[in-house]
Amino acid sequence: MPALAAQGDTWGIPGTTFVLLYLTAVVAVAVLAAVHRSILFAGTRGAHVDTLGPQQIAYLNGGDRLAVYAALGGLRGANAIATAPDKTLRQSGPMPSGVTPLDTAVYNAAGKRIRARDVVTDAWVRSALDDLRAGLEANGLAVSAAALRTARMWFFAGLALVVFGVMRLFSGLANDRPVGFLFFGIVAAVLVTFTLRRGARHATTAARKSMAQVRRQYDYLSPQQSPSYATYGAAGAAMGVALFGAASLYAMDPAFAAEAEIQRQTAGGDGGGTVGGGDSGGSSCSGGSSCGGGGGCGGGGGGCGG
Amino acid sequence: MTGNYGVGIGWRPEIAGFVAQLPGLRFAEVVAESVHAHGELPRGLSELRERGVAVVPHGVKLSLGGAEPVDPARVTHLATVAQRLEAPLVSEHIAFVRAGGVEAGHLLPIPRSREAVDAVVANVRRTQAELDVPIALEPIAALFDWPDDELDEGAFLTEILERSDALLLLDVANVYANARNRGADPAELFDRVPLERVAYCHVAGGSAHDGVYHDTHTDAVPQEVLDLVAQLCQRRRPPALMLERDGDYPPAAELSAELDAIATASGYPAVT
Repeated sequence: MPALAAQGDTWGIPGTTFVLLYLTAVVAVAVLAAVHRSILFAGTRGAHVDTLGPQQIAYLNGGDRLAVYAALGGLRGANAIATAPDKTLRQSGPMPSGVTPLDTAVYNAAGKRIRARDVVTDAWVRSALDDLRAGLEANGLAVSAAALRTARMWFFAGLALVVFGVMRLFSGLANDRPVGFLFFGIVAAVLVTFTLRRGARHATTAARKSMAQVRRQYDYLSPQQSPSYATYGAAGAAMGVALFGAASLYAMDPAFAAEAEIQRQTAGGDGGGTVGGGDSGGSSCSGGSSCGGGGGCGGGGGGCGG
Repeated sequence: MTGNYGVGIGWRPEIAGFVAQLPGLRFAEVVAESVHAHGELPRGLSELRERGVAVVPHGVKLSLGGAEPVDPARVTHLATVAQRLEAPLVSEHIAFVRAGGVEAGHLLPIPRSREAVDAVVANVRRTQAELDVPIALEPIAALFDWPDDELDEGAFLTEILERSDALLLLDVANVYANARNRGADPAELFDRVPLERVAYCHVAGGSAHDGVYHDTHTDAVPQEVLDLVAQLCQRRRPPALMLERDGDYPPAAELSAELDAIATASGYPAVT
Protein backbone atom coordinates (compact mmCIF):
# COMPACT_ATOMS: atom_id res chain seq x y z
CA MET A 1 0.00 0.00 0.00
CA PRO A 2 1.58 3.32 -1.01
CA ALA A 3 2.65 5.59 1.75
CA LEU A 4 0.04 8.22 2.16
CA ALA A 5 0.48 11.49 3.85
CA ALA A 6 -0.23 10.76 7.43
CA GLN A 7 -1.95 13.23 9.61
CA GLY A 8 1.18 14.38 11.43
CA ASP A 9 3.58 14.74 8.45
CA THR A 10 5.26 18.13 8.24
CA TRP A 11 3.92 20.03 5.24
CA GLY A 12 2.00 16.86 4.43
CA ILE A 13 5.11 15.08 3.10
CA PRO A 14 6.51 12.03 4.91
CA GLY A 15 10.01 12.55 6.35
CA THR A 16 11.82 9.86 4.31
CA THR A 17 10.25 11.03 1.05
CA PHE A 18 11.30 14.59 1.76
CA VAL A 19 14.86 13.60 2.64
CA LEU A 20 15.17 11.52 -0.55
CA LEU A 21 13.83 14.36 -2.69
CA TYR A 22 16.04 16.82 -0.87
CA LEU A 23 19.19 14.74 -1.40
CA THR A 24 18.29 14.27 -5.05
CA ALA A 25 18.06 18.04 -5.40
CA VAL A 26 21.45 18.51 -3.69
CA VAL A 27 23.10 15.98 -6.00
CA ALA A 28 21.42 17.52 -9.02
CA VAL A 29 22.70 20.98 -8.12
CA ALA A 30 26.22 19.60 -7.56
CA VAL A 31 26.32 17.72 -10.87
CA LEU A 32 24.69 20.41 -12.98
CA ALA A 33 26.91 23.08 -11.43
CA ALA A 34 30.04 21.02 -12.12
CA VAL A 35 29.06 20.46 -15.76
CA HIS A 36 28.00 24.04 -16.31
CA ARG A 37 31.11 25.48 -14.66
CA SER A 38 33.41 23.22 -16.64
CA ILE A 39 31.77 24.55 -19.82
CA LEU A 40 31.93 28.15 -18.58
CA PHE A 41 35.60 27.90 -17.58
CA ALA A 42 36.85 25.68 -20.40
CA GLY A 43 38.28 28.46 -22.53
CA THR A 44 39.52 27.80 -26.03
CA ARG A 45 40.70 24.22 -26.31
CA GLY A 46 44.35 24.04 -27.31
CA ALA A 47 44.98 27.69 -26.47
CA HIS A 48 48.59 28.23 -25.38
CA VAL A 49 50.12 30.60 -22.89
CA ASP A 50 53.75 30.04 -23.90
CA THR A 51 53.75 33.04 -26.23
CA LEU A 52 52.37 35.40 -23.59
CA GLY A 53 54.35 38.08 -21.83
CA PRO A 54 55.05 38.01 -18.08
CA GLN A 55 52.20 40.36 -17.18
CA GLN A 56 49.64 38.26 -19.04
CA ILE A 57 50.95 35.12 -17.39
CA ALA A 58 50.80 36.95 -14.07
CA TYR A 59 47.18 37.96 -14.61
CA LEU A 60 46.22 34.34 -15.29
CA ASN A 61 48.03 33.20 -12.14
CA GLY A 62 46.99 35.90 -9.73
CA GLY A 63 44.75 38.50 -11.33
CA ASP A 64 45.24 42.24 -11.46
CA ARG A 65 47.43 42.39 -8.41
CA LEU A 66 49.98 39.85 -9.65
CA ALA A 67 50.03 41.50 -13.08
CA VAL A 68 50.96 44.76 -11.37
CA TYR A 69 53.58 42.96 -9.26
CA ALA A 70 55.10 41.48 -12.44
CA ALA A 71 55.32 44.99 -13.89
CA LEU A 72 56.88 46.23 -10.63
CA GLY A 73 59.39 43.34 -10.76
CA GLY A 74 60.36 44.12 -14.34
CA LEU A 75 60.68 47.86 -13.70
CA ARG A 76 62.62 47.24 -10.52
CA GLY A 77 64.90 44.79 -12.36
CA ALA A 78 65.57 47.55 -14.88
CA ASN A 79 66.27 50.01 -12.05
CA ALA A 80 63.46 52.23 -13.28
CA ILE A 81 61.60 52.43 -9.96
CA ALA A 82 62.39 52.35 -6.26
CA THR A 83 60.64 52.98 -2.98
CA ALA A 84 60.87 56.15 -0.93
CA PRO A 85 61.18 56.07 2.88
CA ASP A 86 57.46 56.88 3.21
CA LYS A 87 56.71 53.61 1.34
CA THR A 88 55.60 55.33 -1.81
CA LEU A 89 57.00 54.39 -5.19
CA ARG A 90 59.27 56.70 -7.11
CA GLN A 91 60.97 56.70 -10.46
CA SER A 92 64.67 55.97 -10.06
CA GLY A 93 65.73 55.78 -13.68
CA PRO A 94 64.52 56.25 -17.23
CA MET A 95 61.71 54.08 -18.51
CA PRO A 96 63.24 51.02 -20.19
CA SER A 97 62.65 50.58 -23.91
CA GLY A 98 60.28 48.02 -25.32
CA VAL A 99 57.93 48.03 -22.36
CA THR A 100 54.23 47.10 -22.30
CA PRO A 101 51.34 49.54 -21.80
CA LEU A 102 50.99 48.26 -18.23
CA ASP A 103 54.68 48.98 -17.57
CA THR A 104 54.20 52.50 -18.86
CA ALA A 105 51.14 52.99 -16.68
CA VAL A 106 52.85 51.62 -13.56
CA TYR A 107 55.97 53.69 -14.22
CA ASN A 108 53.76 56.74 -14.57
CA ALA A 109 51.95 55.87 -11.33
CA ALA A 110 55.32 55.61 -9.57
CA GLY A 111 56.02 59.14 -10.77
CA LYS A 112 52.93 60.27 -8.86
CA ARG A 113 54.48 58.95 -5.64
CA ILE A 114 51.65 56.61 -4.70
CA ARG A 115 51.90 53.47 -2.62
CA ALA A 116 52.42 50.16 -4.41
CA ARG A 117 49.13 48.80 -3.09
CA ASP A 118 47.29 51.76 -4.63
CA VAL A 119 48.84 51.31 -8.06
CA VAL A 120 46.08 48.91 -9.04
CA THR A 121 43.48 51.66 -8.51
CA ASP A 122 45.29 54.25 -10.64
CA ALA A 123 43.07 55.13 -13.61
CA TRP A 124 45.76 54.60 -16.26
CA VAL A 125 46.83 51.31 -14.67
CA ARG A 126 43.20 50.17 -14.49
CA SER A 127 42.74 50.89 -18.16
CA ALA A 128 45.91 48.96 -19.05
CA LEU A 129 44.73 46.04 -16.93
CA ASP A 130 41.32 46.08 -18.61
CA ASP A 131 42.96 45.91 -22.03
CA LEU A 132 45.23 43.11 -20.89
CA ARG A 133 42.31 41.09 -19.55
CA ALA A 134 40.16 41.73 -22.62
CA GLY A 135 42.91 40.35 -24.87
CA LEU A 136 43.21 37.22 -22.73
CA GLU A 137 39.44 36.73 -22.66
CA ALA A 138 39.25 37.06 -26.44
CA ASN A 139 41.82 34.28 -26.75
CA GLY A 140 39.94 31.99 -24.41
CA LEU A 141 42.64 32.16 -21.74
CA ALA A 142 40.99 34.31 -19.08
CA VAL A 143 37.62 33.67 -17.46
CA SER A 144 35.33 36.63 -18.15
CA ALA A 145 33.51 38.48 -15.41
CA ALA A 146 30.22 37.46 -17.03
CA ALA A 147 31.16 33.77 -16.85
CA LEU A 148 32.10 34.18 -13.19
CA ARG A 149 28.75 35.85 -12.46
CA THR A 150 26.89 33.06 -14.21
CA ALA A 151 28.87 30.42 -12.36
CA ARG A 152 28.07 32.10 -9.07
CA MET A 153 24.35 31.58 -9.71
CA TRP A 154 24.88 27.99 -8.67
CA PHE A 155 26.01 29.19 -5.29
CA PHE A 156 22.61 30.80 -4.83
CA ALA A 157 20.91 27.59 -5.95
CA GLY A 158 22.81 25.77 -3.25
CA LEU A 159 22.01 28.46 -0.72
CA ALA A 160 18.31 28.18 -1.52
CA LEU A 161 18.45 24.44 -0.83
CA VAL A 162 20.11 25.08 2.51
CA VAL A 163 17.49 27.65 3.50
CA PHE A 164 14.72 25.37 2.37
CA GLY A 165 16.14 22.47 4.36
CA VAL A 166 16.53 24.58 7.49
CA MET A 167 12.91 25.74 7.22
CA ARG A 168 11.77 22.14 7.01
CA LEU A 169 14.02 21.30 9.96
CA PHE A 170 12.39 23.91 12.18
CA SER A 171 8.90 22.94 11.03
CA GLY A 172 9.73 19.33 11.81
CA LEU A 173 11.06 20.17 15.23
CA ALA A 174 7.99 22.28 15.96
CA ASN A 175 5.89 19.33 14.77
CA ASP A 176 7.83 17.02 17.09
CA ARG A 177 8.97 14.79 14.19
CA PRO A 178 12.40 13.08 13.89
CA VAL A 179 14.85 15.25 11.85
CA GLY A 180 18.14 13.31 12.08
CA PHE A 181 18.39 12.33 8.39
CA LEU A 182 17.30 15.76 7.28
CA PHE A 183 20.07 17.28 9.39
CA PHE A 184 22.69 15.27 7.48
CA GLY A 185 21.03 16.22 4.22
CA ILE A 186 21.43 19.89 5.15
CA VAL A 187 25.08 19.32 6.01
CA ALA A 188 25.55 17.86 2.51
CA ALA A 189 23.83 20.90 1.00
CA VAL A 190 26.07 23.24 2.99
CA LEU A 191 29.18 21.42 1.77
CA VAL A 192 28.07 21.55 -1.87
CA THR A 193 27.18 25.23 -1.54
CA PHE A 194 30.54 25.95 0.03
CA THR A 195 32.42 24.48 -2.95
CA LEU A 196 30.29 26.61 -5.31
CA ARG A 197 31.20 29.71 -3.40
CA ARG A 198 34.72 29.83 -4.87
CA GLY A 199 35.74 33.40 -5.48
CA ALA A 200 37.82 34.87 -8.25
CA ARG A 201 39.21 32.63 -10.91
CA HIS A 202 41.35 34.05 -13.69
CA ALA A 203 42.65 31.30 -15.94
CA THR A 204 40.50 29.04 -18.08
CA THR A 205 41.09 25.30 -17.97
CA ALA A 206 42.90 25.52 -21.30
CA ALA A 207 45.22 28.20 -19.93
CA ARG A 208 45.91 26.20 -16.76
CA LYS A 209 46.94 23.15 -18.75
CA SER A 210 49.36 25.16 -20.83
CA MET A 211 50.61 27.01 -17.73
CA ALA A 212 52.08 23.84 -16.23
CA GLN A 213 54.35 23.49 -19.23
CA VAL A 214 55.48 27.11 -19.07
CA ARG A 215 56.21 26.75 -15.38
CA ARG A 216 58.46 23.79 -16.16
CA GLN A 217 60.18 25.76 -18.91
CA TYR A 218 60.99 28.59 -16.48
CA ASP A 219 61.72 26.29 -13.57
CA TYR A 220 65.07 28.04 -13.13
CA LEU A 221 63.23 31.21 -12.04
CA SER A 222 61.63 29.42 -9.09
CA PRO A 223 62.72 31.03 -5.80
CA GLN A 224 63.78 27.56 -4.68
CA GLN A 225 66.67 27.79 -7.16
CA SER A 226 67.69 31.16 -5.69
CA PRO A 227 67.91 32.49 -9.24
CA SER A 228 70.35 35.26 -10.04
CA TYR A 229 67.94 37.99 -11.15
CA ALA A 230 70.88 40.15 -12.18
CA THR A 231 71.74 37.47 -14.74
CA TYR A 232 68.20 36.99 -16.02
CA GLY A 233 67.49 40.70 -16.24
CA ALA A 234 64.23 42.61 -16.04
CA ALA A 235 62.32 40.15 -18.21
CA GLY A 236 63.43 37.25 -16.02
CA ALA A 237 62.41 39.13 -12.89
CA ALA A 238 58.96 39.83 -14.31
CA MET A 239 58.48 36.23 -15.44
CA GLY A 240 59.64 34.95 -12.06
CA VAL A 241 56.96 37.02 -10.32
CA ALA A 242 54.37 35.98 -12.92
CA LEU A 243 54.96 32.26 -12.47
CA PHE A 244 56.08 31.94 -8.89
CA GLY A 245 54.28 34.81 -7.20
CA ALA A 246 55.30 37.67 -4.99
CA ALA A 247 57.85 35.44 -3.24
CA SER A 248 60.03 36.11 -6.28
CA LEU A 249 59.93 39.85 -5.56
CA TYR A 250 61.04 39.17 -1.99
CA ALA A 251 63.84 36.90 -3.23
CA MET A 252 64.94 39.46 -5.80
CA ASP A 253 64.86 42.62 -3.71
CA PRO A 254 63.66 42.06 -0.14
CA ALA A 255 64.05 45.70 0.86
CA PHE A 256 62.02 46.93 -2.10
CA ALA A 257 59.34 44.27 -1.64
CA ALA A 258 58.97 45.03 2.05
CA GLU A 259 58.86 48.80 1.58
CA ALA A 260 56.37 48.45 -1.23
CA GLU A 261 54.25 46.27 1.10
CA ILE A 262 54.04 43.51 -1.47
CA GLN A 263 51.66 40.79 -0.31
CA ARG A 264 53.28 37.39 -0.38
CA GLN A 265 50.13 35.39 -1.08
CA THR A 266 49.13 36.30 -4.58
CA ALA A 267 49.44 33.32 -6.85
CA GLY A 268 46.38 31.23 -6.01
CA GLY A 269 48.19 28.57 -4.01
CA ASP A 270 49.97 26.94 -6.94
CA GLY A 271 52.64 29.57 -7.23
CA GLY A 272 55.49 27.17 -7.52
CA GLY A 273 55.66 25.36 -4.24
CA THR A 274 55.20 22.09 -6.04
CA VAL A 275 57.62 22.68 -8.84
CA GLY A 276 60.88 20.77 -8.67
CA GLY A 277 64.31 22.11 -8.02
CA GLY A 278 64.17 21.66 -4.30
CA ASP A 279 66.88 19.08 -4.55
CA SER A 280 69.59 21.35 -5.74
CA GLY A 281 71.59 22.77 -2.94
CA GLY A 282 69.58 20.78 -0.49
CA SER A 283 71.15 20.19 2.85
CA SER A 284 74.64 20.67 1.53
CA CYS A 285 75.88 23.82 3.11
CA SER A 286 77.80 24.68 -0.01
CA GLY A 287 74.49 25.49 -1.70
CA GLY A 288 75.97 25.00 -5.09
CA SER A 289 79.08 27.03 -4.52
CA SER A 290 82.33 25.19 -4.84
CA CYS A 291 83.80 27.12 -1.98
CA GLY A 292 82.91 24.49 0.56
CA GLY A 293 80.32 26.31 2.58
CA GLY A 294 80.90 27.80 5.97
CA GLY A 295 83.83 30.02 5.28
CA GLY A 296 82.29 31.62 2.24
CA CYS A 297 84.12 32.92 -0.74
CA GLY A 298 87.03 35.21 -0.34
CA GLY A 299 86.23 35.88 3.24
CA GLY A 300 89.71 36.81 4.28
CA GLY A 301 91.04 33.29 4.31
CA GLY A 302 92.46 33.48 0.87
CA GLY A 303 89.37 32.94 -1.22
CA CYS A 304 87.92 29.74 -2.47
CA GLY A 305 91.02 28.21 -3.80
CA GLY A 306 88.79 25.93 -5.79
CA MET B 1 88.72 13.78 -20.84
CA THR B 2 88.87 12.27 -24.24
CA GLY B 3 88.49 14.70 -27.07
CA ASN B 4 88.25 18.44 -26.85
CA TYR B 5 85.27 19.88 -25.05
CA GLY B 6 86.29 23.51 -25.49
CA VAL B 7 84.83 26.20 -23.27
CA GLY B 8 82.46 25.21 -20.47
CA ILE B 9 80.95 26.70 -17.35
CA GLY B 10 80.32 25.75 -13.75
CA TRP B 11 76.62 24.85 -13.51
CA ARG B 12 74.96 26.47 -10.51
CA PRO B 13 71.20 26.54 -9.77
CA GLU B 14 71.30 30.34 -9.68
CA ILE B 15 72.33 30.59 -13.34
CA ALA B 16 70.76 27.37 -14.64
CA GLY B 17 68.60 29.32 -17.09
CA PHE B 18 71.65 31.03 -18.52
CA VAL B 19 73.63 27.80 -18.90
CA ALA B 20 70.63 26.08 -20.51
CA GLN B 21 70.56 28.53 -23.42
CA LEU B 22 74.26 28.38 -24.35
CA PRO B 23 74.02 26.87 -27.84
CA GLY B 24 77.60 25.64 -28.23
CA LEU B 25 78.10 24.24 -24.72
CA ARG B 26 79.64 20.78 -24.59
CA PHE B 27 80.77 20.57 -21.00
CA ALA B 28 79.80 21.83 -17.57
CA GLU B 29 80.79 21.12 -14.02
CA VAL B 30 78.54 20.70 -10.99
CA VAL B 31 79.42 20.68 -7.29
CA ALA B 32 79.21 16.97 -6.50
CA GLU B 33 77.84 17.51 -3.00
CA SER B 34 74.90 19.49 -4.40
CA VAL B 35 73.64 16.49 -6.40
CA HIS B 36 71.66 13.82 -4.59
CA ALA B 37 72.92 10.33 -5.22
CA HIS B 38 69.45 8.85 -5.60
CA GLY B 39 66.91 11.68 -5.69
CA GLU B 40 65.77 13.41 -8.82
CA LEU B 41 68.47 15.30 -10.73
CA PRO B 42 68.03 19.08 -10.85
CA ARG B 43 66.03 19.73 -14.02
CA GLY B 44 68.70 21.96 -15.55
CA LEU B 45 71.28 19.18 -15.22
CA SER B 46 69.13 16.45 -16.72
CA GLU B 47 68.34 18.74 -19.64
CA LEU B 48 72.05 19.31 -20.23
CA ARG B 49 72.61 15.57 -20.19
CA GLU B 50 69.79 15.06 -22.70
CA ARG B 51 71.54 17.57 -24.96
CA GLY B 52 74.72 15.53 -24.74
CA VAL B 53 76.60 18.06 -22.63
CA ALA B 54 79.23 16.32 -20.48
CA VAL B 55 78.71 17.13 -16.79
CA VAL B 56 81.65 16.66 -14.44
CA PRO B 57 81.02 16.30 -10.67
CA HIS B 58 83.41 18.49 -8.73
CA GLY B 59 83.87 17.40 -5.12
CA VAL B 60 84.61 19.94 -2.43
CA LYS B 61 84.35 17.90 0.77
CA LEU B 62 86.29 14.70 0.24
CA SER B 63 89.32 16.08 2.09
CA LEU B 64 91.87 14.13 0.04
CA GLY B 65 94.64 16.01 1.82
CA GLY B 66 93.55 14.95 5.28
CA ALA B 67 95.84 12.82 7.39
CA GLU B 68 93.03 10.32 7.97
CA PRO B 69 91.59 8.10 5.21
CA VAL B 70 88.78 9.56 3.10
CA ASP B 71 85.26 8.88 4.34
CA PRO B 72 84.02 5.85 2.34
CA ALA B 73 80.46 7.26 2.29
CA ARG B 74 81.66 10.43 0.60
CA VAL B 75 83.66 8.43 -1.95
CA THR B 76 80.58 6.32 -2.70
CA HIS B 77 78.52 9.46 -3.15
CA LEU B 78 81.02 10.90 -5.62
CA ALA B 79 81.16 7.62 -7.56
CA THR B 80 77.35 7.34 -7.64
CA VAL B 81 76.91 10.90 -8.84
CA ALA B 82 79.49 10.28 -11.57
CA GLN B 83 77.51 7.24 -12.72
CA ARG B 84 74.21 9.11 -12.64
CA LEU B 85 75.64 11.90 -14.76
CA GLU B 86 77.56 9.47 -16.98
CA ALA B 87 80.48 11.79 -16.33
CA PRO B 88 83.71 11.31 -18.28
CA LEU B 89 85.66 12.09 -15.09
CA VAL B 90 85.36 13.59 -11.61
CA SER B 91 87.47 16.15 -9.83
CA GLU B 92 88.47 17.02 -6.26
CA HIS B 93 90.91 19.28 -4.47
CA ILE B 94 94.34 18.63 -3.06
CA ALA B 95 93.35 20.11 0.28
CA PHE B 96 91.82 19.20 3.59
CA VAL B 97 88.49 20.45 4.88
CA ARG B 98 88.32 18.64 8.23
CA ALA B 99 90.67 17.28 10.84
CA GLY B 100 90.02 15.51 14.11
CA GLY B 101 86.27 15.71 13.48
CA VAL B 102 86.25 19.49 13.05
CA GLU B 103 84.84 20.84 9.78
CA ALA B 104 86.83 23.81 8.51
CA GLY B 105 84.14 24.80 6.03
CA HIS B 106 86.95 25.85 3.77
CA LEU B 107 89.60 24.31 1.56
CA LEU B 108 92.84 24.38 3.51
CA PRO B 109 96.31 23.91 2.06
CA ILE B 110 98.45 20.96 3.11
CA PRO B 111 102.19 21.18 3.73
CA ARG B 112 104.27 20.18 0.72
CA SER B 113 106.11 17.41 2.52
CA ARG B 114 106.86 13.84 1.40
CA GLU B 115 104.62 12.61 4.21
CA ALA B 116 101.76 14.70 2.84
CA VAL B 117 102.36 13.32 -0.66
CA ASP B 118 102.07 9.79 0.74
CA ALA B 119 98.81 10.66 2.51
CA VAL B 120 97.26 12.30 -0.56
CA VAL B 121 98.31 9.49 -2.87
CA ALA B 122 96.84 6.91 -0.48
CA ASN B 123 93.55 8.82 -0.36
CA VAL B 124 93.44 9.28 -4.14
CA ARG B 125 94.00 5.55 -4.60
CA ARG B 126 91.19 4.74 -2.15
CA THR B 127 88.92 7.01 -4.15
CA GLN B 128 90.01 5.66 -7.52
CA ALA B 129 89.20 2.14 -6.34
CA GLU B 130 85.49 3.04 -6.29
CA LEU B 131 85.38 5.26 -9.35
CA ASP B 132 84.64 4.00 -12.86
CA VAL B 133 86.19 7.12 -14.37
CA PRO B 134 89.45 9.06 -13.91
CA ILE B 135 89.83 11.69 -11.22
CA ALA B 136 91.41 15.08 -11.78
CA LEU B 137 93.07 16.79 -8.83
CA GLU B 138 92.95 20.51 -8.30
CA PRO B 139 95.62 22.35 -6.32
CA ILE B 140 94.18 25.24 -4.31
CA ALA B 141 95.07 28.85 -3.82
CA ALA B 142 96.77 29.56 -0.52
CA LEU B 143 97.91 32.77 1.02
CA PHE B 144 100.73 31.15 2.93
CA ASP B 145 103.24 28.30 2.74
CA TRP B 146 103.78 25.88 5.58
CA PRO B 147 107.19 26.24 7.25
CA ASP B 148 108.04 22.58 6.77
CA ASP B 149 107.58 22.49 3.00
CA GLU B 150 110.11 20.11 1.46
CA LEU B 151 108.97 20.39 -2.15
CA ASP B 152 108.06 23.30 -4.36
CA GLU B 153 104.56 23.46 -5.88
CA GLY B 154 105.62 21.93 -9.20
CA ALA B 155 107.50 18.98 -7.72
CA PHE B 156 104.75 18.39 -5.15
CA LEU B 157 102.01 18.22 -7.79
CA THR B 158 104.06 16.19 -10.24
CA GLU B 159 104.84 13.58 -7.62
CA ILE B 160 101.22 13.24 -6.50
CA LEU B 161 99.92 13.02 -10.07
CA GLU B 162 102.49 10.51 -11.24
CA ARG B 163 102.29 8.27 -8.20
CA SER B 164 98.49 8.19 -8.21
CA ASP B 165 98.19 8.32 -12.02
CA ALA B 166 95.59 11.07 -11.65
CA LEU B 167 94.74 13.91 -13.99
CA LEU B 168 95.26 17.57 -13.22
CA LEU B 169 92.54 20.18 -12.87
CA LEU B 170 94.54 23.34 -13.25
CA ASP B 171 92.93 26.48 -11.87
CA VAL B 172 94.56 29.26 -13.86
CA ALA B 173 93.20 31.89 -11.48
CA ASN B 174 94.80 30.03 -8.55
CA VAL B 175 98.10 29.88 -10.36
CA TYR B 176 97.84 33.60 -10.94
CA ALA B 177 96.82 34.33 -7.35
CA ASN B 178 99.58 32.20 -5.82
CA ALA B 179 102.28 33.71 -8.02
CA ARG B 180 101.09 37.26 -7.62
CA ASN B 181 100.85 37.05 -3.85
CA ARG B 182 104.38 35.62 -3.70
CA GLY B 183 105.83 37.93 -6.33
CA ALA B 184 106.64 35.04 -8.68
CA ASP B 185 106.04 34.52 -12.41
CA PRO B 186 102.78 32.56 -12.75
CA ALA B 187 103.72 30.95 -16.07
CA GLU B 188 106.74 29.31 -14.43
CA LEU B 189 104.51 26.64 -12.91
CA PHE B 190 103.43 25.54 -16.40
CA ASP B 191 106.98 24.32 -17.05
CA ARG B 192 107.09 22.41 -13.78
CA VAL B 193 103.89 20.33 -13.95
CA PRO B 194 102.95 17.60 -16.42
CA LEU B 195 100.71 19.59 -18.76
CA GLU B 196 99.78 16.43 -20.64
CA ARG B 197 97.84 15.42 -17.53
CA VAL B 198 95.62 18.50 -17.55
CA ALA B 199 92.02 17.32 -17.92
CA TYR B 200 90.51 20.79 -17.80
CA CYS B 201 91.05 24.24 -16.38
CA HIS B 202 89.16 26.55 -14.08
CA VAL B 203 89.14 30.21 -15.00
CA ALA B 204 87.75 32.53 -12.35
CA GLY B 205 87.75 36.10 -11.19
CA GLY B 206 89.16 37.71 -8.11
CA SER B 207 89.96 41.01 -6.54
CA ALA B 208 92.81 42.60 -4.66
CA HIS B 209 92.48 43.90 -1.11
CA ASP B 210 95.33 45.50 0.79
CA GLY B 211 97.81 44.26 -1.79
CA VAL B 212 96.65 40.65 -1.53
CA TYR B 213 94.84 39.05 -4.48
CA HIS B 214 91.86 36.91 -3.47
CA ASP B 215 90.57 34.22 -5.78
CA THR B 216 86.94 35.07 -5.00
CA HIS B 217 84.97 33.53 -7.90
CA THR B 218 82.58 36.43 -7.43
CA ASP B 219 84.38 39.05 -9.51
CA ALA B 220 85.10 39.44 -13.20
CA VAL B 221 88.00 37.46 -14.69
CA PRO B 222 90.95 39.88 -14.87
CA GLN B 223 92.84 40.34 -18.11
CA GLU B 224 96.00 38.99 -16.44
CA VAL B 225 94.26 35.64 -15.89
CA LEU B 226 93.08 35.57 -19.52
CA ASP B 227 96.63 36.33 -20.64
CA LEU B 228 97.81 33.41 -18.52
CA VAL B 229 95.21 31.19 -20.22
CA ALA B 230 96.68 32.21 -23.57
CA GLN B 231 100.22 31.43 -22.35
CA LEU B 232 99.12 28.03 -21.12
CA CYS B 233 97.40 27.23 -24.41
CA GLN B 234 100.54 28.21 -26.34
CA ARG B 235 102.47 25.58 -24.39
CA ARG B 236 99.80 22.91 -24.50
CA ARG B 237 96.11 23.56 -24.87
CA PRO B 238 93.97 21.70 -22.33
CA PRO B 239 90.99 19.71 -23.66
CA ALA B 240 88.58 22.01 -21.83
CA LEU B 241 88.49 25.29 -19.91
CA MET B 242 85.59 26.56 -17.86
CA LEU B 243 84.36 29.73 -16.27
CA GLU B 244 83.97 29.19 -12.54
CA ARG B 245 81.64 31.71 -10.96
CA ASP B 246 80.21 31.10 -7.50
CA GLY B 247 78.22 34.16 -6.58
CA ASP B 248 77.38 37.78 -7.22
CA TYR B 249 76.40 36.69 -10.70
CA PRO B 250 76.48 39.48 -13.29
CA PRO B 251 73.98 40.12 -16.10
CA ALA B 252 73.86 37.42 -18.79
CA ALA B 253 75.69 39.66 -21.27
CA GLU B 254 78.69 39.90 -18.94
CA LEU B 255 78.80 36.14 -18.36
CA SER B 256 78.65 35.64 -22.13
CA ALA B 257 81.48 38.13 -22.63
CA GLU B 258 83.62 36.24 -20.10
CA LEU B 259 82.95 32.93 -21.86
CA ASP B 260 83.85 34.57 -25.18
CA ALA B 261 87.04 35.99 -23.69
CA ILE B 262 88.08 32.50 -22.54
CA ALA B 263 87.30 31.18 -26.02
CA THR B 264 89.43 33.90 -27.60
CA ALA B 265 92.32 33.35 -25.19
CA SER B 266 92.29 29.60 -25.73
CA GLY B 267 91.46 29.55 -29.44
CA TYR B 268 88.38 27.38 -28.89
CA PRO B 269 85.10 28.27 -30.62
CA ALA B 270 82.69 30.53 -28.74
CA VAL B 271 79.82 28.71 -27.03
CA THR B 272 77.50 31.67 -26.56
